[in-house]
Amino acid sequence: MKKRTSILGGAAAIAATFVVFVIPFIFIILMAFKDRQQSALRDFSWPTGFHFWENVVEVVKTRNWMMITAFINSSIITVVSVTLLVIFAAMVGYVLARRKTRWNGLIEFLVLAGLMVPPAVVPTIWLLQGLKLFGTLHGMILIEVAYNLPFSIILYRAFVATIPRDLDEAAIIDGARPLDVFFRVVLPLLWPVTVTNIVVQSVGIFNDFTNPLYYLPGNANATVQLTLYNFQSQFSTAYNLLFTNILLITIPPLLVFMFFNRQIVAGMTAGAVKG
Amino acid sequence: MAGLELKQLRKSYGKVEVIKGVDLSIEHGEFVVFVGPSGCGKSTLLRMIAGLEDITGGELVIGDKVVNAVEPRDRGIAMVFQSYALYPHMTVYDNVGFGLKLARTPKAVRDQKIRDAARILQMEHLLDRKPSQLSGGQRQRVAIGRAIVRQPEVFLFDEPLSNLDAALRVDMRMEISKLHNDLDATMIYVTHDQVEAMTLADKIVVLDGGVVQQVGSPIELYKHPANLFVAGFIGSPKMNFVAVNADKVSGDTVNVSGPDVVGVPVALPAGKVRPGDKLTLGVRPHDLVVATSGAIVGRVGLVERLGNETIVNLELPSGASWLAVLDGDQALKRGESLALDVDPAKALLFDANGLAVAAA
Repeated sequence: MKKRTSILGGAAAIAATFVVFVIPFIFIILMAFKDRQQSALRDFSWPTGFHFWENVVEVVKTRNWMMITAFINSSIITVVSVTLLVIFAAMVGYVLARRKTRWNGLIEFLVLAGLMVPPAVVPTIWLLQGLKLFGTLHGMILIEVAYNLPFSIILYRAFVATIPRDLDEAAIIDGARPLDVFFRVVLPLLWPVTVTNIVVQSVGIFNDFTNPLYYLPGNANATVQLTLYNFQSQFSTAYNLLFTNILLITIPPLLVFMFFNRQIVAGMTAGAVKG
Repeated sequence: MAGLELKQLRKSYGKVEVIKGVDLSIEHGEFVVFVGPSGCGKSTLLRMIAGLEDITGGELVIGDKVVNAVEPRDRGIAMVFQSYALYPHMTVYDNVGFGLKLARTPKAVRDQKIRDAARILQMEHLLDRKPSQLSGGQRQRVAIGRAIVRQPEVFLFDEPLSNLDAALRVDMRMEISKLHNDLDATMIYVTHDQVEAMTLADKIVVLDGGVVQQVGSPIELYKHPANLFVAGFIGSPKMNFVAVNADKVSGDTVNVSGPDVVGVPVALPAGKVRPGDKLTLGVRPHDLVVATSGAIVGRVGLVERLGNETIVNLELPSGASWLAVLDGDQALKRGESLALDVDPAKALLFDANGLAVAAA
């Protein structure tokens, strides 16, 4: 009896997941195969012809190969800011967890405030202009790092506490300088959180739409999410191209997830067993 | 070639003083054991020598250099931790070689040293494994290997055997002792296990409340404890104590009596105590013998018959309980009365301040 309920529960969960996650994805794929007329109907129908390849070519060539520029920009922003995030957040988390001072409370409050207080766009732009960083890739990278740092720090800080302090001390006795202790002993042991961070943050930053919209104007600076605007306007929207575009820009985050998925699982189990 | 000199070493955390001025001198090649109950400051003292804790006051000299402000890596020490503290993401080979790698030792030399250390500790077959694939004893070996490979002047051990099971502990104890002979290095070893202390040490330092209670060879501490604390701490089972008054002083013997004992003679040079002095009598459980009309009479409580000896829990008239370890197998019954006697030369007396009234 109990077994049957659990099977039913499992089936319900799978069905719900299918409706929420898989059906929209199937819809995207179907749309990407349609021509403009059929896609305008926006229904769940089988494509009348095979138009996928011409859609892809069209999307990539639009506005002087904007898609290519966008992919390069987005990749640079994502890779650099995730790298910086991982290193800085791990460092801050490490120091916060290890060194107890009377400033810890204040620092932790500021980190939390970074999560809670919404960023103000206009003053930020004004500041970026003052620093001559507005509309540049490195300005955008700094923005992404700043906005996402608190979350990463909180992830890391909790995990550093589980690494025995004896390891730091053993490394110090072995002759490690502070940076050696961090990069050779602590950071490798943080791998499971690092993977979580990489996945969560790179997907978030790669898919970021609003921040590049505010802080990174100009065609040369387009990021992938902004290319969606190419096919969407008040009067005419090419749905087949829009969905092809969506499909193309979904691929990189999907790859990141598929690649690191195993690592997340492996990292979790390695940490789970005492040793 | 390095001895150590601790001069009025102090450590406080805020207002709490945990090490209250320790003076100690350790010769090169000595095996020194710090013992004491939990929280006595023995680990803190070791960590101060290692450089993991700042020194609040006093001077620490290793070799002929004051090292108060010297980084741990430049003190010529190596430390073995209670938790082993092996780097989980590295193989045994890399764990042992980590210090050499940091010191930028050429690869060939490094490899040679790692393999030498592995040979000494018989763990050559473990070099490719990760710490998680090792047993407790093997991990302990790796931790020791990591220490020897650096060829330190001073080895520091922080309760290295307390995570091992009893049989393995005895084995590793012998190995550490052998290692000390082979390497001819100074070793400082912290433990709360007095059997380890007695078997390994050239010199035992008994600590309590951040103060050195006594320093001496194991047998010296056993036979001539300086105070009640050392007398109670060294030796197993624990020494029996009872409050007494000096009755009669005649020549080199003092007779003491109390609520539980009547006229126990204690060998003591003349002039140390006067009749009527309030004292504490200490007798080791092993020094009590059955007598027909002994000075100490009590009721037999729990009896543990081990075959070669019998451990008796004796309830004294005042309600205090003593332990007696009697030779051979004794068929004693719970509740029966038992009289014990004590060898005058082996009984110890302590004055009102808890200090030993020296027999010598």
